[in-house]
Amino acid sequence: MHASDQDTFPGFRRSDGSVGVRNHLLVLSTVALTNRLAELVSRAAPGCLLIAPDFMRGLRGHDQLIQDRVLDGLVSHPNVGAVLVLAHDAATGNALRERYRNAGRPFDLLVFMDAHGMADAVEKGRAALVRLAKAIEGAPRTPAPLSSLVVALECGGSDASSALCANPVIGRFVDRHLAGGGTAIVSETAEFIGAEPIIRSRSATRFVTEQILERISRTEKMMQEDGEDYRGINPTPENIAAGLTTLIEKSMGAIAKTGHALFNGCLNFAEPPQGKGLHFMDTPFFSPVSMTGMACAGAHLVLFGMGVFNPSGNPLAPTIKVCGNPETVRRWADSLDLDASGILTADKTLDEMADRLRDVVVQVAGGSQSRAEDWREGQIIAPRSLPAL
Amino acid sequence: MNTARKFIRLADRDNVATLLDDLAHLERLTDGMALRPGIPFGHKVAVADIAAGKPVLKYGVVIGHATQDIPAGEHVHVHNCT
Repeated sequence: MHASDQDTFPGFRRSDGSVGVRNHLLVLSTVALTNRLAELVSRAAPGCLLIAPDFMRGLRGHDQLIQDRVLDGLVSHPNVGAVLVLAHDAATGNALRERYRNAGRPFDLLVFMDAHGMADAVEKGRAALVRLAKAIEGAPRTPAPLSSLVVALECGGSDASSALCANPVIGRFVDRHLAGGGTAIVSETAEFIGAEPIIRSRSATRFVTEQILERISRTEKMMQEDGEDYRGINPTPENIAAGLTTLIEKSMGAIAKTGHALFNGCLNFAEPPQGKGLHFMDTPFFSPVSMTGMACAGAHLVLFGMGVFNPSGNPLAPTIKVCGNPETVRRWADSLDLDASGILTADKTLDEMADRLRDVVVQVAGGSQSRAEDWREGQIIAPRSLPAL
Repeated sequence: MNTARKFIRLADRDNVATLLDDLAHLERLTDGMALRPGIPFGHKVAVADIAAGKPVLKYGVVIGHATQDIPAGEHVHVHNCT
């Protein structure tokens, strides 16, 4: 394959200039009250993507802001070709129609309470969905630069192999992707506790350093309030027995997936990055939640490094699973996208494995389903920090 | 039959490498460098002399500092790095 072929993938051009790797027909329930309707409506278009998170009412302060931002991120995601939004009542429906009428893609909105009974609601929804499906039928893929991709970086089920294979392979790919003008987001603030010197030495500006350090310190304070002294007990005796000498070395096992580039920005949950390069996002560590944050910020794909298997993914951003543990690779062959265990067992180099990861990224961006997509893994979860009203 | 130990150096500037096998009785790395026998899988070996007080580099970053002179081939861990 020529370098020029490798630098592009066939993608879907959006009117706002972004490029999608999927052309999902999205059925989106904006409040748990319409989840059942969304489920029934989605059956009218077998290939559609149903997203019906348990969105709540009565949220307070920041939690409401985050839920709204997640909703925005879903509707305007580059992998969405058309969207049917389900609202519960007329007032919410009007507000959402205003908010999303310029989303730049075929859009329709159904107000549940306008219907005359459930059968009528389902009928109306199905008719709207079929219209939207027709509107995006046969949409072409055209060559788009690989550098237009925003990749989310995730790890889970981490073990000794994660720190030596999966995460460094992802990091090597990310170094190249960013050097080529691409964008990457890494999250899970708790994983950065102890890695403050890395942030200080790898931030583009002092402002970014301070913002990221402030988020890390806030998370560490929350742990302390819960009676946990992360810094004091790490590395643990098990870590030391496994060869980890210092906390920063342990932290690097996860941070290795970011490569070596400077951090260009610090993002709040689901906040889209301004500009290219590497961005830190402040999220909880539970992978479905952190992936929700990065996907709703516009990440096209997730690169997920693992040691033992982790069955999460993101429904909107195809999730590519990279694993370096030979035992996991044997047991979960039907659920992984890249076997990086050759670094441990067969003299493969990080560069060779990063080449293979790049091939997988190009294939998946161009339409091949990732294993997580095959199994329809993944969920959208908005984090909450306050009791609801 | 393996006669030398597999290892990975995670960044070009690293002065330690991580051992990738359990063949702790062997005394050479696959690149020919001599190492102390007995270093377990996942543990670090110095691939250059590291003077006391100098940084220990893994992943291309400073993960700690040598608390004593560490000759190439020596085990690097909590006894000589902090």
